[in-house]
Amino acid sequence: MNLGAGHKTGQVLLSLLAGLLIWEIAGWQFNTAFFAPLLGSDTGFSNSIAQWIAGIAGKTISEPHPGTLPKLWSLLDPAAIGAAWTSARAEGGSILTALSAAANASDLLRALASSLALFLTGLAFALTAGLALGMGMARLPWLRVALEDYILGLYATPMAALIPFILAIFGFEFWPKVLVVFLFALFPVLYNTLEGARSLKPEYLEVARAFRTGERRLWTDVIIPYTLPYAMTGLRQGVARALVGMVAAEILLNPTGIGDLLIGSERAFDMAGVLASILVVTLLGTVLMALVRLIETRFITWGAALR
Amino acid sequence: MSTATAPTAAGPSLGARIAASPFWLKLLAGLVLFGLWEFSVRLFAAPFVVRPSGTIAALPAALSDPALWAASWSTLSSVFVGLAASLVFGVVIGVAMGRSPAMNRVSEIWVNSFYTMPMVAVLPVLTMWFGYSEGARFAIIVFAALFSIILNVADGVRNVPREYLEVARSFRAGPRDIWFGISLFASLPYLIAGIRLAIGRALVGAVLAEIYASIPGVGFYILSNARALEQNTAMCAVLILAAFGIGMDAIMRWILRTWFPWYRREGRQ
Repeated sequence: MNLGAGHKTGQVLLSLLAGLLIWEIAGWQFNTAFFAPLLGSDTGFSNSIAQWIAGIAGKTISEPHPGTLPKLWSLLDPAAIGAAWTSARAEGGSILTALSAAANASDLLRALASSLALFLTGLAFALTAGLALGMGMARLPWLRVALEDYILGLYATPMAALIPFILAIFGFEFWPKVLVVFLFALFPVLYNTLEGARSLKPEYLEVARAFRTGERRLWTDVIIPYTLPYAMTGLRQGVARALVGMVAAEILLNPTGIGDLLIGSERAFDMAGVLASILVVTLLGTVLMALVRLIETRFITWGAALR
Repeated sequence: MSTATAPTAAGPSLGARIAASPFWLKLLAGLVLFGLWEFSVRLFAAPFVVRPSGTIAALPAALSDPALWAASWSTLSSVFVGLAASLVFGVVIGVAMGRSPAMNRVSEIWVNSFYTMPMVAVLPVLTMWFGYSEGARFAIIVFAALFSIILNVADGVRNVPREYLEVARSFRAGPRDIWFGISLFASLPYLIAGIRLAIGRALVGAVLAEIYASIPGVGFYILSNARALEQNTAMCAVLILAAFGIGMDAIMRWILRTWFPWYRREGRQ
């Protein structure tokens, strides 16, 4: 049994390793503007490994091949982080100011903080509006009947098409970008909460009313527990779409955050930088999705029983 | 609001009748929504900002403009072909992942990573590979659509009832029948859920690619008109996109309702 499990994990790891190896080999075949290897040969450590491997094959590496991971490391710039931290602490700054100074010293952390601020603000607004309206529609069936077709229509409309309007009307600072993230995330949350509202049987509300349930208890004991599992599905979709909105806003309005890293690298024909930025965005997405799934399995445990 | 006023001799009050009839309620809600939009723009925004009356006024001219139809055709045909390609590859890979545990273990980590990767982030790579051209747009459409189809088909094939496979095997069905005759057909509702998801993602990808790389198409039509302060004309193109999205979604839901009435909320969301 244990052996079987290890065997399976082995297959996954082997596939991962094979993929990364293909990436590395493919990276060496093309010029640096077209594709970049994982490790490459531009900095000390990866260069020495690459020279050693090339030496085994009886070849020498003449032109440098910037790698994705070394690029990521240089964007993160741990030395600058450490220096900023120690100097801020030496000047007697508090832990918080030292932390912000350290984060500001690193290109990657600065971009990540800027992107996360955008993402979280937009998502928070979308979540608030989506949950309030969606649960309101569970409480007031006439409101649901009135609005559901419009919400379904907007859910199916590609919100990306509205970016030029936002750019022309509101400009390209922080809040217009928040609007983009908000629009990308709102309709999945709203649509799924609406699905919950639609499937909430009127009998539940009637029974609650027959037992003289107050308005507050009606919300805390019936409406919120019933619609929350549906809203979590919406949150999962919303997080994924908000990430797309975040990167789209950062690329198509004025470049900031991770979008700026991405665009800057592309304009410099630096494929290693582009791939490093994509890696960061993908990791961010994976972590955020895992977080949502954790909340779902940890706290919204009654969801499966409803379906 | 839903509590009706006392019926008079003329029957229930107007408010109660509107509340009881979905059609009038929806119409009223639409009027309120568009009215709010219209008047807030008139009161607070610059005259060029898009508003419903302006869009309606711009609609005849925009719809008789061959440039809009050429742009729509360019985008939507690319989305269709991209979806068809993703469907073929997605179904083959998805059935393989669903049927073979080893195949699943080998590819799941990659498929999942590419599925989680926000597709706009690969736009710079695709424009560097395919140029600022229709090729990049086609590539992003396939990238956006493929993985949701793979994952949904694999989920569906994995959830095929065991009895179907046992009966098939006892009638000496070959592997081809088991893979495509039974597994694929039993997982069709999942496939349709995947296609629904893929259509939305592909449309977003196509529009973003057009805006980013100035590829001729609906997205670029919207961008150039919005820049030229012709927002009402640009909104007509958004309406075409919305009609396409809503229409495709309606078709998929109709297929599900008609042929798979037992289907509820399966598939990945």
